[in-house]
Amino acid sequence: MTSRREFFKYAGIAGGAVAATAVSRVAMAALPEPVIQTSPQTMAPLVPSSGRPYNPVVTLNGWTLPWRMNQGVKEFHLVAEPVVREMAPGFKAHLWGYNGQSPGPTIEVVEGDRIRIFVTNKLPEHTSIHWHGQRLPNGMDGVAGLNQPAIAPGKTFVYEFVARRPGTFMYHPHADEMVQMAMGMMGFWVTHPKEKNPLIDEVQRDFCFLLNAYDIDPGSYTPKIMTMLDFNLWSWNSRIFPGIDTLNVRLNDKVRIRVGNLTMTNHPIHVHGHEFTITGTDGGPTPKSTRWPEVTTDIAVGQMRQIEFVADEEGDWAFHCHKSHHTMNAMGHAVPTLIGVDHTGIAKKINKLIPDYMVMGERGMADMTEMEMPIPDNTAPMMTGEGPFGSVEMGGMFSVLKVRKDQKPGDYKDPGWYKHPKGTVAHEYSGPLTEPARFKAEGGQSMPRIQKSAQPTEVQVRKPTSHKDH
Amino acid sequence: MKLARSSRRIKLAVSLITVAVLAGCASVSVEQNLKRVNEEASEFTDGQLALARSAEDHAKRNEVAAKLLSAPVKQKEAVQLALVNSYSLQALLAQGWYESADAAQSGRISNPIFSFERMVAGDELELSRALSFGLLDVLTIPARQGIAERRIEQSQLRLTSEVVDHVTRVRQAWVRAVAAQQSLAYAKQVLESAEASAELARRMQSVGNFNRISRAREQAFYADAATRLATASHQATSTREELVRLLGLNESQAQVLQLPERLPDLPKQALDPSAVGKIATKSRIDIRLAQTSLEGAAKSQGLSNVTSFTDIELTARRNTKIDNATGTRSDPRGYEIGIRLPIFDWGGMQRDAWNARTISAANQLEATIRSAGSSLRESYSAYRTSYEIARHYREEVVPLRRVISEENQLRYNGMIIGVFELLADSRDQINTVIAAINSEQQFWLADAALQASLIGRPTNTSLSVTTSAPSAGGAGH
Ligand SMILES: [Cu+2]
Repeated sequence: MTSRREFFKYAGIAGGAVAATAVSRVAMAALPEPVIQTSPQTMAPLVPSSGRPYNPVVTLNGWTLPWRMNQGVKEFHLVAEPVVREMAPGFKAHLWGYNGQSPGPTIEVVEGDRIRIFVTNKLPEHTSIHWHGQRLPNGMDGVAGLNQPAIAPGKTFVYEFVARRPGTFMYHPHADEMVQMAMGMMGFWVTHPKEKNPLIDEVQRDFCFLLNAYDIDPGSYTPKIMTMLDFNLWSWNSRIFPGIDTLNVRLNDKVRIRVGNLTMTNHPIHVHGHEFTITGTDGGPTPKSTRWPEVTTDIAVGQMRQIEFVADEEGDWAFHCHKSHHTMNAMGHAVPTLIGVDHTGIAKKINKLIPDYMVMGERGMADMTEMEMPIPDNTAPMMTGEGPFGSVEMGGMFSVLKVRKDQKPGDYKDPGWYKHPKGTVAHEYSGPLTEPARFKAEGGQSMPRIQKSAQPTEVQVRKPTSHKDH
Repeated sequence: MKLARSSRRIKLAVSLITVAVLAGCASVSVEQNLKRVNEEASEFTDGQLALARSAEDHAKRNEVAAKLLSAPVKQKEAVQLALVNSYSLQALLAQGWYESADAAQSGRISNPIFSFERMVAGDELELSRALSFGLLDVLTIPARQGIAERRIEQSQLRLTSEVVDHVTRVRQAWVRAVAAQQSLAYAKQVLESAEASAELARRMQSVGNFNRISRAREQAFYADAATRLATASHQATSTREELVRLLGLNESQAQVLQLPERLPDLPKQALDPSAVGKIATKSRIDIRLAQTSLEGAAKSQGLSNVTSFTDIELTARRNTKIDNATGTRSDPRGYEIGIRLPIFDWGGMQRDAWNARTISAANQLEATIRSAGSSLRESYSAYRTSYEIARHYREEVVPLRRVISEENQLRYNGMIIGVFELLADSRDQINTVIAAINSEQQFWLADAALQASLIGRPTNTSLSVTTSAPSAGGAGH
């Protein structure tokens, strides 16, 4: 590979990255060699070796795009192209992305940097890039047709502007936007402050990821681009649990997590064990007077949120979207509720016709993770993930914040499962049980109904019983 | 004079003997008839036909039938069973026999008339003896003999053709009965699946997970499946009874009749057109029947040109005259010729009739030859098309349906679809299997029809459309 030399230039900063050579070298002579990432793993932070110094971020299951300095201008090269993204072990998707992955690499710059970005289009249709949230000349805003002509397939365009304000941003196409975003085209952008900013704290860990969603029929590879709201894969950086890496931090580290939402619904992002404050939005750092502690923050469509907290509680803390359907993988939305339905005799009858049939859902959906039956190829199970105490029964937008006192500074390695001090894990109670005192709460009615229902509704509550007979 | 007389006597004797011999030739027995049918059609029937005439014969036939009925009756055995057991076939054989006998009769010369007269007039006693016969009757014996033979041939060919038709109907009835029985088994499975859905829906409603409409939808499908099962059940009964009738089974035989569980597998390869063409060029019954009918008509026509015009009665006469008064006795002898005078009937109508009959037979032959090729091509097309469709079902449609079911099972495992969708899919799969059975049935019907067409008894072969549209009984959406 002729690009080996280039590769070595970036070696050690983004593991597994290789320079692409598919675009003519003559044409590319004046351009920085595009760097392609082949791995979906979280790459170590790219510590700047040129330009102004800054504390780099870590992109969850992603990487930062290397650059070159050209007469004081930071030059990046993005290549829009079809990619294969492993969304979870054993489940791959045919997406569109940048430089080998979807989402594309994170672009990190420093406030005041002059930036030149070459965008080469290797898609079958035209594209453009909009630099979401940036202050820039109107002609650089990237809306095809409005601010610039679209970038035709095979063409390279160049964008150039100054990163005027520090903050959390993203980039995505603004040409055939619906299709290209449904196909996974997006990336993160972080502008670090040039000097000490009273509203921007120093942190030891700085994570970022984008919320995105896909509709991929179980067993297929390509997202259905026409889906409006009924997505079946809710992902962080085009990864779904258990494919999302954990956020590993050192005890008492100050942690910043930057989240951008490019799905079509809001996501209440929730951290266990800690309270955080929102220190930044799309508009930049928030005034300190506006910050209050929370454990969940709702990130609306198209928004960015930057949360910060001190990781002062050791352990493995769940970190997830609080819409419970968003912590599931592909599932049927029309599957009837079978809870409490007696299956005596029916399973046998069905087995005569469908030999592999097993009763599921009579007790709930946890059956799904217990039975481990074969599912269609290239499909992530609806809920899964083996934890130290059994199945976590999750999917989609779920990860774990791991706080350890022996995690080394700057070390992002997964420390494994938390070892709980003795007596600090919930356990089965084996003492005597006394019957609780019950009370009857007879609520009133604010106003009487005009039309009375003919008969009082009778509801029978079936208490859980043992799971037998099938 | 004496010499002349004796030579005349010899001539008469010779001609009488000839008459006797010729008359003897034109006879036909039931054994001859059966032998002929068996020769012509044994390859087709794969068995021998016999006419039972004694109680012993019937007992023997009952024994063979009982043996055949002791195991599931395959298509070949069904034909055997018909051969030994069907009274309709026996009736056909007897009918063939009497037709042949009638035909043989027409080739015989009418018996000569011997008349004896005794007349007394006074002293005179006259005894006259006369032997008379139709002269043309004798002279045309060879011709009439030929005609009789044609008629015998015709009746034998017709019998063979009827036997072929009966056997074909047996084969087709067997195919229909087996297929209906097979489809019935699957219709039961559809009902079971629908029953499971309905019961599950009922329980879902009882614990509050389903509302009335969702439950009613599943229940409605169950109700519909029950209707379809009833129809399938009747179909199985009626096709079986059709077979019972063609096999000529009595009540107790019908009760023990068992059919195989499924139709035979499709042949690995369909007959190709050239093979069919080769078999077909062998003499076909329908063409030969038309041919003999034409030959017969032509011969009769030649004959009728003579016989219609004149009828010559020849009488040899010898009288003895005894005169008691004189004591003399004389023996005059001589002959008499009587000719029917064509005054009222000049035979024109009869000649016209024979003429027309010949023209008709000639045209019939040509028509038969011409349509033989066409009906064979149609039969072959039905055979080949139904073969391709049945194979398409076996190799494409059913496996595809299986893939869908397998994938649906996986989707159910992943909780991507629910149990009602899984059950609806199983019903779709079963319906596809039923359609596949129908396609096989079509093939075996066409196969029997083609065999009949090849031997020269064209049988109607209309293909019905086989489809396997997925059921509308969808799952809870
Ligand atoms: Cu969410």
